[in-house]
Amino acid sequence: MGDIVVLVKPSLNPDMTRSKPDGTVDLDAIPLKLDDIDANALEAAKELKNTLGGKIIALLLLPWGPIQKRTRELKMVTQEALARGADEAYIVSDEKLLPGDPIITATVLSNAIKKYAPSASLVLVAEASIDQTTGQIAGRVAAKLGLPFISYARKITIDGNKIVAERDVEDHIEVMEASLPAVVSVTQEINEPRPPTLLQIRRAGKKPQKTLSAADVEPIPERKKEPVEYKILTVSRKQVIIEGDTLEEIAEKLIEALEKEGVL
Amino acid sequence: MVDALIVASGVQEVKESLSAVSSLGDVEVLFYGKDSDKADEVAKLGVKVYVLKSQHPGALFNAVKKLYDEKQPKVIVGYGTKNNRDALSRLAGTYDLPMATDVIGVEFKDDHIIYKRGFLSERAIATEKIPYPAIILINAKVFEPVQREGSGNTEEISVEEDSVKLLEIKPKQLSGINLEDAEIIVGVGRGFKKKEDLELAFKLAELLGGQVGASRPIAADYKWLPEDAWIGISGKRVAPKLYIAVGISGAPQHMAGVNNSKIIVAINKDKSAPIFKLADYGVVADLYQFLPVLIKKLEEKKGK
Ligand SMILES: Cc1cc2nc3c(=O)[nH]c(=O)nc-3n(C[C@H](O)[C@H](O)[C@H](O)COP(=O)(O)OP(=O)(O)OC[C@H]3O[C@@H](n4cnc5c(N)ncnc54)[C@H](O)[C@@H]3O)c2cc1C
Ligand SMILES: Nc1ncnc2c1ncn2[C@@H]1O[C@H](COP(=O)(O)O)[C@@H](O)[C@H]1O
Repeated sequence: MGDIVVLVKPSLNPDMTRSKPDGTVDLDAIPLKLDDIDANALEAAKELKNTLGGKIIALLLLPWGPIQKRTRELKMVTQEALARGADEAYIVSDEKLLPGDPIITATVLSNAIKKYAPSASLVLVAEASIDQTTGQIAGRVAAKLGLPFISYARKITIDGNKIVAERDVEDHIEVMEASLPAVVSVTQEINEPRPPTLLQIRRAGKKPQKTLSAADVEPIPERKKEPVEYKILTVSRKQVIIEGDTLEEIAEKLIEALEKEGVL
Repeated sequence: MVDALIVASGVQEVKESLSAVSSLGDVEVLFYGKDSDKADEVAKLGVKVYVLKSQHPGALFNAVKKLYDEKQPKVIVGYGTKNNRDALSRLAGTYDLPMATDVIGVEFKDDHIIYKRGFLSERAIATEKIPYPAIILINAKVFEPVQREGSGNTEEISVEEDSVKLLEIKPKQLSGINLEDAEIIVGVGRGFKKKEDLELAFKLAELLGGQVGASRPIAADYKWLPEDAWIGISGKRVAPKLYIAVGISGAPQHMAGVNNSKIIVAINKDKSAPIFKLADYGVVADLYQFLPVLIKKLEEKKGK
């Protein structure tokens, strides 16, 4: 018996990458979205909830400012997490924690779990995020909480107080078993998240959510990572759409173009 | 005290890691996993090698922690393999060490480290600064492997595993094809409706003398192809002269693996698919109609 905590990251949406005239990333102009694989983690939590018998607690930390501008986006990510199956949400949002630094993020999330979800028997984290893709929050949180850790789980089953997971390593799968409570990072292959239904979205608005400040989740460690520069990677591809009246004509033109390029 | 501790499970990984830390002084290696019998080869690079026979991530964490406590290295370096990420993120959490993953460039200054890595699913490059001690996980094939002869010694270390039990190891089906060396790659994505239909891609690849690669869902989720066909930020990074993406939308995580191709062709039925902005030549068509025609035309040419 126990609750499931799902770490849900409000990430910068790489598909909406914006640049400044000098070619650097316009961080403030890129909107937040619920991170891709966090949706898989929420789906996994929904599947495991009945076995564990507790509730699903989504825990979010705002990693990108400016805070005033992010309020609405953060609300939408929270709403989506609740619509995707979380029963309640804790949102940490504080100027002092910006921009997200893995040391601060992991500590704050761990502190929040200890304080607000002390009866959690499972903490689910995604293998990596879409903006930072550091893939290190899960391991840090496991170490901080002193809990067993299974990374890159493609499949999870729970039996009593044991969790068995299929862990994806590059060239093989390892079947791992840990006792609960545990921290587990999941991969994209673990499930196919279902988009929330209208009813789920409507219900989400009524679920409890609590916003926390840095003071609620102390102690906060010292920041160690400093940004120097974020530069847009310009891809200069020709972007030629080959057109023609028939597919035959298009195929011929394509072959001709590739021959001209010297790649056929 | 040593300057750097390399944590690696392959010889090439050690050579590239040595290259990444070449500006530092004393380097030692923790060599682990199922290839740990190659430790002598590593020692011949002139480094002291600690050998851990286990590939259990908890054992690796305990071994790294033990060496970290004893040696107090300024830098820990290795590839960003899943076992390295697992064990080293735990070490990072234990001591609040900064950790940079997917690093493509690094400078070790007197009192800080500056590194470069992908950002926004590699739509951008981040340059960031961190203090010592730190963990730096590098991308494969970015740093020129060192070539040198020396004589280091090897020493086996034994540690406990942690409380997580490794019950079973299941092999993955792998093709063994080295996509990294392919000159022409036909990439297949979810535009294909079933496994049998990939025959079209294989036929095209064969005609061109190329190989077939895949987006992550095709290889890792549907398992229509072996997982070593998986191209992208979390799979293989390839650099063929021609990459033909068929039924692939062009997600940044996929394109990160093919952006070094000389020419990219996209075949997709949705004219607003992002891939058309990331390709040199685009064909807006249903692959089921277009590929047979393209194949026929190529066969005709070959016949001539
Ligand atoms: C942390 C992280 C890491 C990831 N790592 C990778 C990675 O390494 N590699 C990777 O590939 N992905 C990776 N992904 C997943 C990635 O985000 C995309 O989900 C994935 O690449 C999409 O695969 P796809 O293009 O095959 O499928 P889709 O995005 O579903 O695209 C299918 C395309 O096929 C087209 N289509 C459909 N029918 C036809 C037809 N009949 N003819 C022609 N076109 C058709 C559609 O228009 C569509 O554009 C990662 C994601 C995350 C979050
Ligand atoms: N700010 C955050 N708030 C909540 N969860 C987070 C946050 N940052 C990272 N995580 C979790 O850690 C995963 C990996 O993130 P990253 O280390 O950025 O690759 C995310 O997908 C989340 O599950």
